[in-house]
Amino acid sequence: MNYPIWFLPETGGGFLIALISILHVFVSHFAVGGGLYLIYAEKKGLKENSRPILDFTKKHARFFLLVTMVFGSISGVGIWFIIALVNPAATSLLIHNFVFGWAAEWVFFTVEIAAAFVYYYMFGRMDSKTHLKVGWLYFIAAWMSLFLINGIIGVMLTPGSWSETMDFWAGFFNPGFFPSLVFRTFIALMIAACYGFLSASFATDRKVRVAMTRFSAKWALLTLVVAIFSGLWYLSVLPLSSHELVMGKSPTIARILPWGAGGILSLLLLLLGAGILRPNLNLKPVASLAMVGALLIMGGFEWTREAARRPYVINEVMYSSSILKKDVNELNQKGYLRTALWVRNSEVSEDNLLEAGQELFMHQCYACHTVNGKNNDIVRATGTMSYPALVSYIRRIHEVRYFMPPFAGTELESRALAVYIAGGLQGKDVREPQPAAATAKNGATLFEENCSSCHTVEELTGSLAGVAKDEIVGMLKTLNEISEEMQPFSGSAEEHEQLAAFLSGQSDMKNQGGE
Amino acid sequence: MNPLIIPQPDTIPVSWGWLQFLLLLTFPLHLLAMNAMLGGLAIGIVQHMRGGCLQKQLAHRIAIALPLVIAFVVNFGVAPLLFIQVLYGQFVYSSSILMGAFWILIVPILIIAYYGAYLYDFRFTQLSSVGPWLGVLVFFLLVAIGFFFSNNMLLMSLPEQFDQYFSHKSGTWLSFGQPGFWPRFLHMLLGALAMGGVFVALLGRFRKSVNRALANHAEQVGLGCFLLFTLGNVMIGFWYLLTLPKELMMLFMGGNIGATITFGLALLLAAGALIAAYKKRFWLTFGHAVALVVAMTFLRSWLRSAYLKDVFTLDQLQVVPQYSPMIFFFVILLGGIVCLGWLLKKTSDALPLKRGRG
Repeated sequence: MNYPIWFLPETGGGFLIALISILHVFVSHFAVGGGLYLIYAEKKGLKENSRPILDFTKKHARFFLLVTMVFGSISGVGIWFIIALVNPAATSLLIHNFVFGWAAEWVFFTVEIAAAFVYYYMFGRMDSKTHLKVGWLYFIAAWMSLFLINGIIGVMLTPGSWSETMDFWAGFFNPGFFPSLVFRTFIALMIAACYGFLSASFATDRKVRVAMTRFSAKWALLTLVVAIFSGLWYLSVLPLSSHELVMGKSPTIARILPWGAGGILSLLLLLLGAGILRPNLNLKPVASLAMVGALLIMGGFEWTREAARRPYVINEVMYSSSILKKDVNELNQKGYLRTALWVRNSEVSEDNLLEAGQELFMHQCYACHTVNGKNNDIVRATGTMSYPALVSYIRRIHEVRYFMPPFAGTELESRALAVYIAGGLQGKDVREPQPAAATAKNGATLFEENCSSCHTVEELTGSLAGVAKDEIVGMLKTLNEISEEMQPFSGSAEEHEQLAAFLSGQSDMKNQGGE
Repeated sequence: MNPLIIPQPDTIPVSWGWLQFLLLLTFPLHLLAMNAMLGGLAIGIVQHMRGGCLQKQLAHRIAIALPLVIAFVVNFGVAPLLFIQVLYGQFVYSSSILMGAFWILIVPILIIAYYGAYLYDFRFTQLSSVGPWLGVLVFFLLVAIGFFFSNNMLLMSLPEQFDQYFSHKSGTWLSFGQPGFWPRFLHMLLGALAMGGVFVALLGRFRKSVNRALANHAEQVGLGCFLLFTLGNVMIGFWYLLTLPKELMMLFMGGNIGATITFGLALLLAAGALIAAYKKRFWLTFGHAVALVVAMTFLRSWLRSAYLKDVFTLDQLQVVPQYSPMIFFFVILLGGIVCLGWLLKKTSDALPLKRGRG
């Protein structure tokens, strides 16, 4: 609300962030772990007095330089650019609060670059003891970069007392700091070993290929196992709400976790089979598959970390919609559009509901939803909902689906948003329903208003087939016992009857049709 | 007239003067590295195209240095971009979004240019006559990035342009149509070409003990370029000055004592650098030119404050004091400088260049 919205309706900013950041973290973790890998690969070459292994290490250092210095560092700047474009409010808050953390990270980044260049360009041109020291300096600087970034971005998921005090150190050493640091360190070493595994598959000297394949596979296996345990440690320190999202309440995470698990399993099998037992099998396609496995693990983790913060972008502080948690009540009173900058419709009336609704969509929904795009398309997500159902749903959105931020604004603004989605995007009838003052609403209307945001008629009638109407009435009164995400139906006794009749009637009809 | 749309800034942890100091400390580093990159590459391409043994050698030395220089351009750009976001975030985040589609393009363009620079370096000989054309491509990609930066840095100073957002929500608004854009951009570009000359001469100096002919050639070409482009840039500079709104122009003509003194000093430094370059006094040229770049960053800062003074001054930023992270940063910075010094020493000890000294 404080900043303009960069509006790419079909693409969505979230997709761009995910694209850049997943690729970046895969390379940036390599940049950290790769330093240590190079040191030990060089040491191995020196210890065994093996020129081929030293040549391999130098070649790998060149590959390392090209991947980390170019793609790694520029995509890192890219993340900064894209988050500032897509979520400037959160970026600004983190930049202002942690400016000297970022600045210190920049110092390590400088040392890292200088040491990486010296390590590569002086390979074989400086005494090996000093050369190894340069390698160590690189690794320490790179790890310190990780240390600092870990503290700052960790606060977004596990803010602890920082959410109240905004104290730099409380935020930096947040409850997730150490588990996340250990996890990321071992993931970095694991990824570096996978890159080594890949490099080894390119080695033309068979002996070197076998030796470096085994060397890399041992590294990767050991570090992967430690990473898995530290990942569980990290999971255990998450706030309850985030923990529940990871454990199944977030559909986004539920979708991605099998991919991450698949990545772990395939990597374990490949490392064991083509790394340790039969290193001869480490051919380029095999090593590439291992890289895909590692990317799935990293991508799965980052995706989960991102989604576990929902409905916040900074846990307990700022919602994904860039609205501060503390401001929601005030916005409900005063109105969102009246308070927001970068809007044309500061005042909402019956005459500009559609236009105001579009601006509300951009400001409160677009952070996660595209319009007719591939990623979380709002048109598809609300396809089954009527206008009254949307009005009702928008007001209760955070209660029904915890991972979605609450709508912030007045009653009229929520109607405006519903008009835009149902009328503007879906082309549905957006006339206000007749007041149901005298008579209770009928079952179909009640279903629309209370159930259709999560269920289709077919889904419920199917599962309620054969259940007696009275029993359905009883179930409506205790919906919270079926799922924590539901609340008992709050209608009158007559409306309970109507809704139950609608559901059982539909069931009967369906059964009859089926026969 | 619609009221200006300016976001509320976030609080800062230390007095704005510290952040301004750090911005002015780090920005010249970025500018110097950027100048070396852009100007050095341009000279390298021309040398490469001209042919001849020394020319080709010089082009090769520049090509070898280019990826390293790009790395430091990016790195030295991070710190000032950080501090400018802290000081002027409400303006720079908004202007970036207004031109978001172009702003984010900087990332892929830079990746392509950077890989192109490595290709030019690693395959210098094999690329043969294609090499200079690859250099040209990299050069124009880097200029495009500079063009986008110039757009953003001007746009952030013009909040009266922010309502363009409503007709450019997909981030397609650029400020190159605004008065002052072209002289500003060309001033920066010509400055880069001129300072690139100093960088080329410096590169030659590094090789003096092993290849005196190359060093002499580099110095001759470098200082010649510096002289030529700086002369041109003085003209552009005055054009730029004249395109500024009168109130801003007067800032450097007595309107603000600090700005006027710095402007006068910059003119003296430019004159000193030109004379030194004409007399082929390398280190004197180098010193004057570097000091001139530093003075220009100060002038630039004054200009930005003046553009925004009706809507924002830095003392309006609310401070929620917490100084310990800044002390932590200074300790890290000191440690970092020691590490860089150690790397430099160990590298210089190991290189054969040292043998020629003394």
